[in-house]
Amino acid sequence: MNPENIKYHKEHTWVKISGKKATIGITNYAQESLGDIVYIDLPEQDTSVEANTELSEIESTKTTSSVISPVSGTVMEVNEDLAETPEIINEDPYGKGWIAVLEIEDESQADSLMDVSEYEKYLEEEAKLK
Amino acid sequence: MKIAVLGAGPGGYVAAIKAAQLGASVTVIEDTEVGGTCLNRGCIPTKALVASAEALDKAKNIHDFGIELNGDVIPNIQKILERKNKIVNIQVKGIRGLFKSWGIKILDGKGFIVSANKIRVALKDGGAEEVETDKIIIATGSRPAQIPIFPFDGEKILSSDDALNLNNIPRSLLIIGAGVIGCEFAFIYREFGSEVTMVEMMPGAVSTEDEEISAILEKELKKRKIKLIANIKVEKIEIKENSVLTFLSDGRTIEAEKVLVSIGRAINSKDIGLENIGVKTGQRGEIIVNDKMETGIKGVYAVGDVTGGIMLAHMASKEGMIAAENAVGGDAVINRSVVPSAIFTSPEIASVGLREKQALDKGYRIKIGRFQFRALGKAHAMGEISGLIKIIADEQNDKILGAHIIGPHASDLIHEIALAVNKGLTVKDIADTIHAHPTLSEGIMEAAEDVHDSAIHVPKKQ
Repeated sequence: MNPENIKYHKEHTWVKISGKKATIGITNYAQESLGDIVYIDLPEQDTSVEANTELSEIESTKTTSSVISPVSGTVMEVNEDLAETPEIINEDPYGKGWIAVLEIEDESQADSLMDVSEYEKYLEEEAKLK
Repeated sequence: MKIAVLGAGPGGYVAAIKAAQLGASVTVIEDTEVGGTCLNRGCIPTKALVASAEALDKAKNIHDFGIELNGDVIPNIQKILERKNKIVNIQVKGIRGLFKSWGIKILDGKGFIVSANKIRVALKDGGAEEVETDKIIIATGSRPAQIPIFPFDGEKILSSDDALNLNNIPRSLLIIGAGVIGCEFAFIYREFGSEVTMVEMMPGAVSTEDEEISAILEKELKKRKIKLIANIKVEKIEIKENSVLTFLSDGRTIEAEKVLVSIGRAINSKDIGLENIGVKTGQRGEIIVNDKMETGIKGVYAVGDVTGGIMLAHMASKEGMIAAENAVGGDAVINRSVVPSAIFTSPEIASVGLREKQALDKGYRIKIGRFQFRALGKAHAMGEISGLIKIIADEQNDKILGAHIIGPHASDLIHEIALAVNKGLTVKDIADTIHAHPTLSEGIMEAAEDVHDSAIHVPKKQ
């Protein structure tokens, strides 16, 4: 169910690189852990974001949680649909539930992130630790 | 013992009643209306507006509660103001009734200190009267501070006094100053339908609060589409025919129907005759008092905003009680170490004791407990899940140093912690106390337990 053509960050976000564009969202595991999402604090356009720092904040009925950016770049586009209907993230975390598109300088910065098999192994290990 | 009290706000009227309770013969002089800023132009009228705004919000979202509403939900500002005025009048009558019951004489007029034993009063309905007295308690309060280059005009450039009496809901409102007053009005007028922008010199909204709390409030502003521009100054203002154009220090301009200036309070210590008795004032005009609330002149006391201390109604009241006690021969000392405060935004904010940064600056080794309202069943039942309870404790002895709450009924919840801080209770004392279910107060218990990583409704920390 986790797609193969994207990269995964250990804070349960994903990134899809296409040229200088990096589309970012949260993983299925993240949306399941959060539960029903009721609000997302969307980043503003043109703000620059460092990898491994907060891109956005999500509020669910259970908790609030930071969305950690897997890459560094400048916010080009945000998913405005989430402002009114943040539950799209629960329904389609890898598709319509994307959060933002960053313009990135260096496409290779995603190379160090996990691919799908590494991420799934990571999830299994995390589960064992609990 | 004869005592004259100048000003009948929450400092003065409480001082008057306390002094009468202690057997003094008391005269109160007030040039506007008893209850002062708090009752007539502050705490109470804004809370009446907040209540209307909350009712409107509930009505707009009534579907969430499974109730169908046929028809529009429309705020009627005239009716809202009528309700507010009625509430204020009830309280005013209440204070006048208390005065009567304690045999306190009230003179409606402007008082002027002639000597330490005499106040001349220019009565409202003409004439003058002189009050002979043994002691004086000055409680003349404060007023909205204005920006000299664009003073209040009551039409387009508003003070918080004006903002309580607008006959039309402005299409757009620019608020200069995102402190307590600015933020309360921002939520009120946004709910009523105005497009609201706030500009603030400091890095954020309610910057006197704990940083984590301010950050959550800013998110709530964003949710309601209240725009906050921080770290900015207003350069100048141009009054247009139907709007006001505001020029910001970054070159931006903002056009709004009205501008509310809420940059703080100015002290009312001029033209009351202080110079006749040599009472000393500081740079802002604040009357200088000792911890017995006495000025440099024996038998002359000052309390509340006019002393420029913690400008809160309940602080003024406490100071009034101390001054009254001392005026009749007591030896009471004011303690300002534990003063809870509340902000009636949506959701509410309340705090007591030290903020996280303050505690660290003072050299404490601290532990913090946090609990989110959204983990409480009661908060979900009420439909108000946003917010956080944060307790700061001394790691060495487990004593509670402070607490900061943003969330539903924060202003009521804070007092459990205020008592704890005041009495030096520990985190364990609160955690060990059974709290009724289902209540918001359970959040206090859980936040206390979280200080020790043992909250039941918080997932295991990694």
